[in-house]
Amino acid sequence: MNISIFLFEFKHFIRNKAKLFSYIFFMLLCIYSIYNGFEIMHKQINTISNINEKQDIECNIVLDWLEQKKGPVDKPWVNIEDPYWLIRSTPSFIVKNPSPLFPLGIGQAEQFGFYKEITRWSSTFDSDMAEEISNYERLINGNIDFSFLIIFLLPILLIILTYNIHGLEKDLNFNKLITIQNKKLSSWIINRLIFYVLIVLLSINGMILSVGLITSSFAYFKSMLTLILISNLYVIVFSFVFYLIIKNASSSSSVAFKMISFWLFFCVIIPGSVHQYVSIKYPANYMTEFLDVNREQTYEVFKLDDIELYDFLVEIHPEIVETKKSQQDTLDSQLVRRCISTIINQMNIAAENEIEMQNEDKNYLIKSTYFFNPISYVQNLWNSCTATDYYSYGMYRLDIQESIISRNKLIVLELWNESEVDKEIYSRYLKILNN
Amino acid sequence: MSIIFFNEWKGLFRNKLFLFFISFFLLLLFIVTFFGNIQNKKQILNQQEAKNHIRDQWDEMGPSNPHSAAHFGTYAFKSNSILNSLDEGVNAVTGLVLRLEGHKQNEVAFSESSQSLTISTFGKLKVSLLFQFIIPLFLIFLAFNTYTSEISSGRLKLLLIQGNSMSKIIFAKIFTLLSLATLLLLFTILVQFFLNINYIKLDQITRLVIFFFSYFLYYFIIISFTVFLSLLLKKSTSALSLTIITWLLWTIFIPKTVGNFTESLTPLSTRIELSEKIQDDRSKGIDGHNPFDDRKIELEKEILARYEVDSLSHLPINFAGILMQADEEFGNQVWDKHYGELYEKLETQKRNYQLSGLINPFASLQSLSMASAGTDLLHHLDFLSHAEKYRRYFIKTLNDEYAFGGSKTGERGWKASQDFFRSIKDFSYNEANFISMKNKYFIDIFCLFLWSLSLVCLIIYYSKNHPFNEY
Repeated sequence: MNISIFLFEFKHFIRNKAKLFSYIFFMLLCIYSIYNGFEIMHKQINTISNINEKQDIECNIVLDWLEQKKGPVDKPWVNIEDPYWLIRSTPSFIVKNPSPLFPLGIGQAEQFGFYKEITRWSSTFDSDMAEEISNYERLINGNIDFSFLIIFLLPILLIILTYNIHGLEKDLNFNKLITIQNKKLSSWIINRLIFYVLIVLLSINGMILSVGLITSSFAYFKSMLTLILISNLYVIVFSFVFYLIIKNASSSSSVAFKMISFWLFFCVIIPGSVHQYVSIKYPANYMTEFLDVNREQTYEVFKLDDIELYDFLVEIHPEIVETKKSQQDTLDSQLVRRCISTIINQMNIAAENEIEMQNEDKNYLIKSTYFFNPISYVQNLWNSCTATDYYSYGMYRLDIQESIISRNKLIVLELWNESEVDKEIYSRYLKILNN
Repeated sequence: MSIIFFNEWKGLFRNKLFLFFISFFLLLLFIVTFFGNIQNKKQILNQQEAKNHIRDQWDEMGPSNPHSAAHFGTYAFKSNSILNSLDEGVNAVTGLVLRLEGHKQNEVAFSESSQSLTISTFGKLKVSLLFQFIIPLFLIFLAFNTYTSEISSGRLKLLLIQGNSMSKIIFAKIFTLLSLATLLLLFTILVQFFLNINYIKLDQITRLVIFFFSYFLYYFIIISFTVFLSLLLKKSTSALSLTIITWLLWTIFIPKTVGNFTESLTPLSTRIELSEKIQDDRSKGIDGHNPFDDRKIELEKEILARYEVDSLSHLPINFAGILMQADEEFGNQVWDKHYGELYEKLETQKRNYQLSGLINPFASLQSLSMASAGTDLLHHLDFLSHAEKYRRYFIKTLNDEYAFGGSKTGERGWKASQDFFRSIKDFSYNEANFISMKNKYFIDIFCLFLWSLSLVCLIIYYSKNHPFNEY
């Protein structure tokens, strides 16, 4: 490394208003994007804590009923010791808490909901699973997001900082002087380029670490290190390509044109083409399998007689065969019908798995394009580190599914075991419902 | 001026790199328009299949209780317009399916963007992506040294000596590049037109005309702005740097920042807040399943008096149907209040965003491009309003049948005939006519014209005060 070239480049950088302004502007944008990420994260945390508060209030109301052995005033038919009514009256929410690294990448967070009230009829593709209410036109423009700045705007900052290396000398016709003064033209270019790469890397690494310090997310140390590694490798790969362009420069404007074309090709055209191709191969899913379960097949189940419903229930929960209720001569029709949601849930799971598999086929196709579409790869890798990618929300859907299964199982087992609820049993219910 | 214009074209034709790029863009635009149409038609076909599938289930339902049928409900599928292939707008992030049923209004769900990993931040490779991001950059690279190269080659002096004014020379150059952009625009619109010739009606023609003129004005602004900067800065590299920075600000930075700002100016409720407000308001009204509701008693008295009987069992009609319709109508009022406010806020956000066209012509272009393709927020809200209007017709028809179709109060098992269910019209949405929505886009049109006129004035002013005019 040649220190004099480095120092010369530093002077040039300080004196060149356009470069200095671009660098400062970009860094301010990064700070703003992190602040914006924190804002969204805090908004989500506030919504979640409001939900928890609401849930606690409603659970306390139920506890009051149990204490007074009297149900809601406006619903005198509700028997408070009946597990069916008690479980129905107990709300439970499944939330997706934002990762501490959320300010570093909003990713797909704005395309999914992050809280859901669970009822025995819920499913993971209910309409309340759609994204939070927001302006769709703002969604397509996206947020000022740190990951967006690094993946899409950082290469442009590099272009602004480096496009006239070697090109300017050619524009002003003193490029031969440079060749005379430096043994190797390539090392002169590399030294100048490294200066900019270093200041960019130091700045962004500093910002990533600062977010780690602010959110105390050192538990997510591995993810943070991965983010640093991704961003650094990304910058280095871009710088390498820019080095090749600079080395063969004919003028600064031609260098700028080539660099911008490279950026456009990899950041806009290739991902856009892949997106179009994927949409042709896998058009947006209207999820008719799921709609069928939700509507027609649900109504078919309601039409079944008690024995058929009982058989389905035994298939899902064989343990009910051992209960006294099961061994009676006649089936308790109300009991069987109160458990229908368990059967519907089982059908929902099958339809949801089908949709998840269709989506996975689409994802498989996307992943198979990564070798020529590296930007999408970097983006999804980044989003997975900040827990804002499709799979993070897939995990959240699994949590929701678990909760629906637990709720329905609790209803079935408690009803068939003819439990009578008191405060102690209710706290057990709360543990199951809120897990 | 025309001589300079034709001479410029001759010069362009002699440039091999230019010929390569123009051929490349023509080919790319053809491919993108062609595949955009294929993707769009496939989506329309899928939507139609899903719609028919759901309707067939309805038609085959058989005799059933109308109230059960209201819970059975139906679905409204958001369809793509044929111009969606030009600009997808908000369609990738809005849901596609809306469940229409009794007692409650649902959210439109299953957006395309929630069905997979992220692919492209800037969207699919559609005509709008090329016209908004790539072709402007191509025009910037063609325009940034048009003036400086004339000085360095000495041609500028020659042209001035020959009696041409500076402004004439500048505008001839601007119009040359604009005619090139026009060629690309016209080519794409013609391809789009011929690929959809069977579906094109007057409204689509109006939309294509708006689409063309929006981009035409934007390109005029981009080219004039680049030339103006080169006139002002006199150094081609400085002009290029500044134009690229401006392009980045216009297309990437300002839209995002203004989008966030307009949302903070008019904040929206969260879904849970909105649903709590709706629940609160609804609980004050009639609940079709709640026998202790005061409003129910009032309604009961009113109906008994109207039919001059003293008990519900003596009514010649089914009171349950009337009660449910009354509850539905109260629910509609609550929905109108809360969703009316929400839609108003969204429209205010949109209007505020459109005002950013004063500092960012790209905002105006983006708005007009989506509007002409029928894929902006306002068109989406129009779809939602139509779906809700249909839901109200659908539920009222079912409730009326339950009330007046032949059953009496207490006959819970009463069933309406299959013919009745088949007679209910299916949901069909025709995109709003552009002319009927034109007022909403005046700001965008105004901003584009204002930018164009301002640049014309600035160029004329700088050309007149240019030192070379002394020649």
